[in-house]
Amino acid sequence: MARKIELPALSSIYRRAAVDAVTSRLSSTGSLRTLEVEPVLAQHPGITEAQAEKYRRLFNGEPFDGVHRTSLPSVLVHIAGFPVQMALMSAEEFPLPLLGMVHLSNTVEHRRPITAGQPLQILVGAENFRPHRRGTQVDITVEVYAADEDPQSPDAAPLWRGVSTYLGRGSYIAGSPKEAGSRTGRGEFTPPRPTGRWTLGADAGREYAAVSGDFNPIHLSSLTAKALGQRTTIVHGMYSAARMLEGREPEQAGHRWSIEFEAPITLPASVAFAAERQDDSAWRFTGWNPRKNRRHFTGTLTLP
Amino acid sequence: MVDIRDAVIIGANRIPFARAHGAYAEASNQDMLTSALNGLVARFGLQGQQLGAVAGGAVLKHSKNFNLVRESLLGTPLDPKTPAYDVQMACATGMEAIGSLANKIKLGQIDSAIGGGVDSISDAPIVVTDELRGVLMEANRAKTLGQRMKALAKIRPGHLAPQAPGTNEPRTGLSMGEHMAVTAHQWGITRQEQDELAAASHQNLAKAYDDGFFDDLVTPFKGVNRDNNMRADSTVEKLAKLSPVFGRNLGDEATMTAANSTALTDGAATVLLGSEEWADAQDLPKLANFVDYEEAAVDFVDGAEGLLMAPAYAAARMLKRNNLRFEDFEYFEIHEAFASTVLAQMRAWESEEFCREKLGLDQPLGSIDRSRLNVTGSSLAAGHPFAATGGRIVGTLAKLLHGKPGKLGFISVCAAGGQGITAIIEGR
Repeated sequence: MARKIELPALSSIYRRAAVDAVTSRLSSTGSLRTLEVEPVLAQHPGITEAQAEKYRRLFNGEPFDGVHRTSLPSVLVHIAGFPVQMALMSAEEFPLPLLGMVHLSNTVEHRRPITAGQPLQILVGAENFRPHRRGTQVDITVEVYAADEDPQSPDAAPLWRGVSTYLGRGSYIAGSPKEAGSRTGRGEFTPPRPTGRWTLGADAGREYAAVSGDFNPIHLSSLTAKALGQRTTIVHGMYSAARMLEGREPEQAGHRWSIEFEAPITLPASVAFAAERQDDSAWRFTGWNPRKNRRHFTGTLTLP
Repeated sequence: MVDIRDAVIIGANRIPFARAHGAYAEASNQDMLTSALNGLVARFGLQGQQLGAVAGGAVLKHSKNFNLVRESLLGTPLDPKTPAYDVQMACATGMEAIGSLANKIKLGQIDSAIGGGVDSISDAPIVVTDELRGVLMEANRAKTLGQRMKALAKIRPGHLAPQAPGTNEPRTGLSMGEHMAVTAHQWGITRQEQDELAAASHQNLAKAYDDGFFDDLVTPFKGVNRDNNMRADSTVEKLAKLSPVFGRNLGDEATMTAANSTALTDGAATVLLGSEEWADAQDLPKLANFVDYEEAAVDFVDGAEGLLMAPAYAAARMLKRNNLRFEDFEYFEIHEAFASTVLAQMRAWESEEFCREKLGLDQPLGSIDRSRLNVTGSSLAAGHPFAATGGRIVGTLAKLLHGKPGKLGFISVCAAGGQGITAIIEGR
């Protein structure tokens, strides 16, 4: 059963999380015992046309004209579900500290088109807590349903389903050895042929925050980022996802995509980007720092 | 069906091209285009004449220059009853203007025309940010003082930073040089051959100036007599010392330097076209016929094809339509956006695989004789004020072919946005 909640405001979640971080209510180096988190369900009035317009302007996409383009991008749906995801992750019973959590990867199945103004239901759960050499990983599942669907019925079919994998640094599962979990293979990186270059200003994080509502301090300024252990401001992971997908998602949906984050993109940045077509229905994406030859992310897109 | 008649290239005039932020720093697009037109009018005695049309454009254009060519025309002694309009196809602007005017002459719609183009890097349009423009427009729409103040209150310091026009491809974020570096690497174009092409361009241009070739093609402007990017003493040895500026991520395999890439320049060029009858009636020379031209575009956004490779496709279609082969041409003018652009196009035409798979041909289009290529220099030496390049090339090639009736010249000009134009000119 899911706990029904009101769609929360992200600003209040971050404010509470910041207080938590200061008062260390959640011991960030402690051992985790409770790994059961009750899912939460919230009603969403729908993504507004104004928000869709802001989004497409940020990513220089084609207009949502209501005729040729109505299906919203996957990342905008993720944005709609994000406050619910944050509500779950900031709840008292959630075992990992919210601020300072590292976004490792995302996998999304965008099954049916979702349009602006369409009321939605968002069901968020946490599962698969598992050890990582630097802490504990968890999968946050986000399912987006049409308003007339019963998300808790066994045959409910989500319009959109995403899994965000996070790492709570320094929080270890009780009883598991600290070295558990494999280090992801980061061999010598041979960059592919670049097909694009993203020039991100120091304000890229603030710009995405203004569109997404995700005002996580690590994306806003170097000062607030440093306060949370980052070297400087980093851009949202989903900014990269949005940009790699822009113009490539089918109007009728039915596609799947994933992104795996490596070195964070610190701002300002010049990111080399490659979109490689594998076959008629599959793409592979890579973003990297051309000066340091460090990979920022890899992604895939599978068309229906 | 109307009879198709010849479109004759009568002559050309341009101002010397000058390196950006130098001799023409104070000149606007309209200043330069007007000057080039004035020179053409003077050279061919067109004062008071009503022409069929004047067309041209600029790639980087101020919004106040919405009618750039018409405004320029009104500053010349041409009859103000001559219609004029702006054309824009990035670096192929001049070629598109001239080609479409030639078509109108061929169809008998007009008897005479001037085509060309102009560009200024030094006087590029600086605009306000999207945010500031949005606020100002909202204030403009406001009906009451209160609404207006409310709108203007949204202005933030960050909105005030001026925005210079980018040279990057909007859909990829890569500069043209970075795009070309990828293509050059794919085709295995070496540093040596690029430097050789660049040095030859300077040497050929310098020799042509010394021989007086440009005496009736160029009119001085603001104290400049020759293209001031030209370095007559350019040698492969000197160019070999430069460090790469594009494709530096390729490390040791980076090949593109400031010398084998075209410098940013300011300038304007114009070409006078007419029907045979019109030229005869005015007692004007007939240098060559503008035979045909072809546009092409490629899918470059995700790297399926190189940004500047469109002319490779245009050439195949144009040659087929005219039942011609490369060996039928006397001269080749391939715009040197970068030395590697010329070399990659030529490599593609020589490639059996490319010609079969991409161009759908049974056999490669073949090699181009280097001794017939850009014989009086090209953009690496002269510079490339984007929209002015078509006029420079057509004027140059028409003069080269003058007095060689039936001899053919080939033109290739690549352009931003994955586009390009090729053309055929026939001497008379």
